[in-house]
Amino acid sequence: MKTTTGLRSDVQALAAIFWKGLKHHIRYPGEFAIFLMLPFLFTFLILGMGNAVGGSNAAIYFASRTGTTNIVIYEILGSAVWMVSWVVIEDVGTGIRDEQIKGTLEQNFLAPVRRFTLLVGLSLTDVVITSALFLIVVGVAVSIVMPAGFLTIIPAFLMLLLGLVPLFGIGFLFAGFVVRFKEPYIFTQIVNLVFATLTGTYYPVTFLPYWVQLISGALPQTYVIADMRRIMLANQALVNLYGSLFVLISLALAYPLIGYAVFRRIERKAGVTGEFSKY
Amino acid sequence: MNPVEVTRLCKTFETREGSLFRKVPKRVVAVDGIDFSVPEGEIFGLLGPNGAGKTTTIKMLCTLITPTSGDALINGFSIAKDQQKVRENLGVMLTGERTLYWKLTGQENLEYFAALYHLDSTSAKNRIPELLKLVGLDERQDTLVENYSTGMRIRLSFTKALLNDARVLLFDEPTASLDPQSSHLIRDIIRDLKQQGHAIILTTHNMEEADLLSDRVAIIDQGKIEALASPSELKQKVKRTDIIEIEARNLNERTAETLQSLSEVSKVALTSSAHPGETELLRVHVEKGKEVLPRILEFLVRKQVTITKVSFIEPTLEDVFIAETGRSLRD
Repeated sequence: MKTTTGLRSDVQALAAIFWKGLKHHIRYPGEFAIFLMLPFLFTFLILGMGNAVGGSNAAIYFASRTGTTNIVIYEILGSAVWMVSWVVIEDVGTGIRDEQIKGTLEQNFLAPVRRFTLLVGLSLTDVVITSALFLIVVGVAVSIVMPAGFLTIIPAFLMLLLGLVPLFGIGFLFAGFVVRFKEPYIFTQIVNLVFATLTGTYYPVTFLPYWVQLISGALPQTYVIADMRRIMLANQALVNLYGSLFVLISLALAYPLIGYAVFRRIERKAGVTGEFSKY
Repeated sequence: MNPVEVTRLCKTFETREGSLFRKVPKRVVAVDGIDFSVPEGEIFGLLGPNGAGKTTTIKMLCTLITPTSGDALINGFSIAKDQQKVRENLGVMLTGERTLYWKLTGQENLEYFAALYHLDSTSAKNRIPELLKLVGLDERQDTLVENYSTGMRIRLSFTKALLNDARVLLFDEPTASLDPQSSHLIRDIIRDLKQQGHAIILTTHNMEEADLLSDRVAIIDQGKIEALASPSELKQKVKRTDIIEIEARNLNERTAETLQSLSEVSKVALTSSAHPGETELLRVHVEKGKEVLPRILEFLVRKQVTITKVSFIEPTLEDVFIAETGRSLRD
């Protein structure tokens, strides 16, 4: 039997995991509607709350604190990034558990495919779909609210893609916790809600106490959201954001390594305790 | 070197049991220092009741569980040190029908796993239709697995183990939940694979299957191999004993244990009945059966047991198991 080796075998396995995921999504199409609606719903929720609190001066107060009057784009960027990062963390973290519940995890682990490829592959479909949905959501919002800035979506999207890499690292960490403790949604949902609070999803992180801002500084979404707003709402060029780009690249190098090391450690322990076949 | 070499393989699970604040550590020895080897072209049966250590052994061999001590070599690769290489050299079918993606078709499932086993696209394109035809699923290849019957899912799961044409094949209860026709088909394929030179390990608690298929059988109980030989050699061991099979009502473990106290009786075990709940089946190993039979029947009648059928039978692997362990395979 002729087999592939090296990078080719990894790419072939990734492609197979991607298509498997895509076919599952197409056969359960309801999720697409949720992904498309959520950023708009959250944005309208925030707009409604802002109006209720700030009354007729709400937009003026908002501009004085954020430097922009374009509330819709400001909030929809936060919502859309949150949606994408939620999917990455949840899918890497819970993908393993979903396979375990389906009974297919051991079948994947029996194959000579590398664990790293499997972990990345498990969320690849959702990341691609959600990133495409991000483009649709932000694209629709920008076309309606500020059509002149449509092309700024491109550098903003590149920023998002860079920010996804460290998120995979955080996802690997949670995948390990899920293998050990089961109950995936306890971890991923709490973390995703905490991340939304800490990363400036709906307000500038400067509103937070200084010590909380230190934690925010360790989260990639903080930089992605802030820089997207600078690109799209303050016309900043990507090259001018080299400081946060440097931080994001550093996080992109460090987090996947740390997350994967933790996952492998827990996975080896799971081999000793026989956790993989426990539900 | 044989394709499979198992040396002093052990697995102990350490768990904590009890209420939330009073957890007590507990050690369970699942596999207790087993040794065996499987040459090319042999079907090696692991026979034992549920919980005997068969599946733990298989899961250690296929690297899903890490051994506590000991090692096994698959085509010369250590399950402790060269796990990736071991996986490349194995075809594995684990028990159950939930080992497939139900929202994919039969063909899509095989394509997916072929990629995970790194088969190149041409090999996969040739191999998949060939395997689907082998198990009679070629006409249902485009049907979603959720619309398959249990038997079809198990046949597809079996096929998955053959995708990479590995020299060593592990089948964990391959015919469990299959109808007789499908079981027959799977057994025929396993025999063909043996003829092609594959080394095959088969776990089962079905003694007839172990007897029919295996060149050698290891009887495993409480993690230890109690006996290892060909089925005929194993049966020969109990041939000198007469085996009486008694079908009866009101028969229980306690009565069976008391019957064991009769001096002429060497082993007694309750086994699987064709009508569980209505009648029970008792196997009694005795010397000079015809002389002892009246005493046994009298004893049972005194214990209010209603006897419905009595027969002298040829020894099976279950009798070997009873003779070796004093218990039946259903325990």
